Amino acid sequence: MRVLIVEDEPDLLMSLLRAVRDEGYAADGAADGIEGLFKAENNDYDALLLDVMLPGMDGWELLRRLRLSKKTPVLMLTARDAVRDRVRGLDAGADDYLVKPFDLDELLARLRALIRRAASQSQPILDLGDVAIDTAARTVTKQGQEVVLTAREYSLVEYLALHQGSVVTRTMLYEHLFDENDTTLSNLLDVHVSNVRKKLGHDFITTRRGHGYSIGAQP
Amino acid sequence: MIFNSIRWRLQAWHGVILATVLTGFGVTAYQVARENQLRSIDQDLGQQLDALFRPRPPEGRPEGPPPDRLPGGERGRPFPFEPGEFEQRLRQAVTEFGSSGGPYATLWQVNQGLIARSPGAPADLPEPREAFAQSPAEGGPGQRGFRPGPHSPQFARTRGQMREIAIPLPRGFVIVAGRSIADDQAAMRRLALWLLAAGMGIFLLGLAGGGWVAARAIRPIDAISATAQRISAGDLAQRINVADTDSELGRLAAVLNTTFARLESSFTQQARFTADASHELRTPVSVILTQTQTCLARERDPAEYKETLEACQRAAQRMRRLTESLLELARLDAGEEPLRRERFDLGRVARESAELIRPLAAQRKVTLETDLALAECTGDAEHIAQVVTNLLSNAIHYNREAGTVTLAVRQEGSQGVLRVSDTGCGIDREDQPHIFERFYRADKSRTRAEGRTGLGLAICKAIVDAHGGSIEVESQPGSGSTFTVRLPLAHG
Repeated sequence: MRVLIVEDEPDLLMSLLRAVRDEGYAADGAADGIEGLFKAENNDYDALLLDVMLPGMDGWELLRRLRLSKKTPVLMLTARDAVRDRVRGLDAGADDYLVKPFDLDELLARLRALIRRAASQSQPILDLGDVAIDTAARTVTKQGQEVVLTAREYSLVEYLALHQGSVVTRTMLYEHLFDENDTTLSNLLDVHVSNVRKKLGHDFITTRRGHGYSIGAQP
Repeated sequence: MIFNSIRWRLQAWHGVILATVLTGFGVTAYQVARENQLRSIDQDLGQQLDALFRPRPPEGRPEGPPPDRLPGGERGRPFPFEPGEFEQRLRQAVTEFGSSGGPYATLWQVNQGLIARSPGAPADLPEPREAFAQSPAEGGPGQRGFRPGPHSPQFARTRGQMREIAIPLPRGFVIVAGRSIADDQAAMRRLALWLLAAGMGIFLLGLAGGGWVAARAIRPIDAISATAQRISAGDLAQRINVADTDSELGRLAAVLNTTFARLESSFTQQARFTADASHELRTPVSVILTQTQTCLARERDPAEYKETLEACQRAAQRMRRLTESLLELARLDAGEEPLRRERFDLGRVARESAELIRPLAAQRKVTLETDLALAECTGDAEHIAQVVTNLLSNAIHYNREAGTVTLAVRQEGSQGVLRVSDTGCGIDREDQPHIFERFYRADKSRTRAEGRTGLGLAICKAIVDAHGGSIEVESQPGSGSTFTVRLPLAHG
């Protein structure tokens, strides 16, 4: 999962990036509206955390322009909590709305829900036969036994599970699992896939040679 | 309850006054009519009596004017003074007077009582005592007779349905004539009824008219009170609909509307100010919350803790600056802190502020030029220094690299004028009228960080206003801005 955070207050941006990365997401930051729009338009983010009051271009305008080309789920952050502002945000194409100051736990929960909904999964627990993924607790169980995964491994499993039944290309995985600061070695993905197979069974992830990977895909 | 309303009180007073006037008028009219009627009855009786004393044609005397005519030109001859003849003639005249059922007459003599009566006279007549006391004197030697004229004393009285007049005569005689006035009394009763009915009608009509007028007069008050009620219920946008602007109530409504408008704008301003203030406080609070929650989520290394603490400190300092500014504004607004009124030299205050700010200018590579004349003003030098420092710091902050800030103080007329000019990017025309408003941000991109609260210029304006001065800005977008502060000079 890769998230873009557009926030002009440097301290807030820094701590949000850190918090989101701690959750196992890949995260990019932008300090103003123009940079934010550029990044949002040129990458496939799984979610966008968008501050309303931004220099350069405010959140409303960024959202309006982004909606011309992308359906990225957007969680608006604002210090204005008038109902009018919230309605405006949702009407402008935002998917959720959070008023500052917020609790980090709530922000992360809303972010998870946003990503899940975007993948048309409304249940927090993804059931894949033997394996069940609890997206709220970020845990994976196999036959009722918890399997310990690293954050990156979990992200890989979650991303594939959210797109179960379809083939996920290596490019897509790179785009969604690594942020712009990661020095992505081409074999890093293979390492993660192989680790996940060791923990959850070789057949858990199917390799579609030349295309990518899938979970639960019909051959 | 209902009588507490002005409308009903007006109506009640109106009714009382109307009733008093009508009663007074009716009673007076009735009495005048009654007196007129009685007078005409008395006159009628008097005339009939007068006929008594008119001489009858003398028997056996030749026609012609009587030789003993009185000098007053009165018709007829008086009764002679010979006692026997006088009384006898009187008796005869009274006895022949009137007829049964019509007017009657009686003759009385002092100490003798009733001595003669006409046929129609009632039996139980009281003695005319007052008339006895007024018995006229005998005529002088030249006078040969007596005849009661229209001016001789008369005593009138009403007994039940009878009206009587008593005419005193010389030698203790009194003639009392009377007649029934039952018909006249009935006419008076009809008149009274008419007056009463007409009075009641006019009263009701007047009451209705008064009610209508009162309701009309009160209607604008009802409109005003309804509007005021809606406003007190929270809808500050309500205004009184003023149709008639010239009347007292119209003017009152106009005044109230102005008051309501000011009230609403001050409420709106207050609400916006509070919203802005909380908005400004939310960002640093978010920083602290997010920083600490992220940091505490798991073990960190010391560098990360330090980073978090530093971010929290920055946020806290920002909040401190903001709350200080808010408090200062609140104090200035409330006028709680009376400004000191002392003489100070605006030029000297400007120089000291410039020296304080010079390191900041140097840090930003901005040249600070001063051109300071003497200008003695009255007020709080410390607050004015705060204004100067604020303007200078803005001028440096918004200046371009290697720009210039000019600080000038001079006397112009009765004012001390301080100008701060910069060579920065200027202020857009549409922003210029608003930059002294609280939390107004001309350019959102540069104002967030670096301790700018968005209140600096608002505080400057509040201070200058408290000194009876003015502050204004001229700006050419692209080439710089000039802030001008005008303060009244100290007298003498």
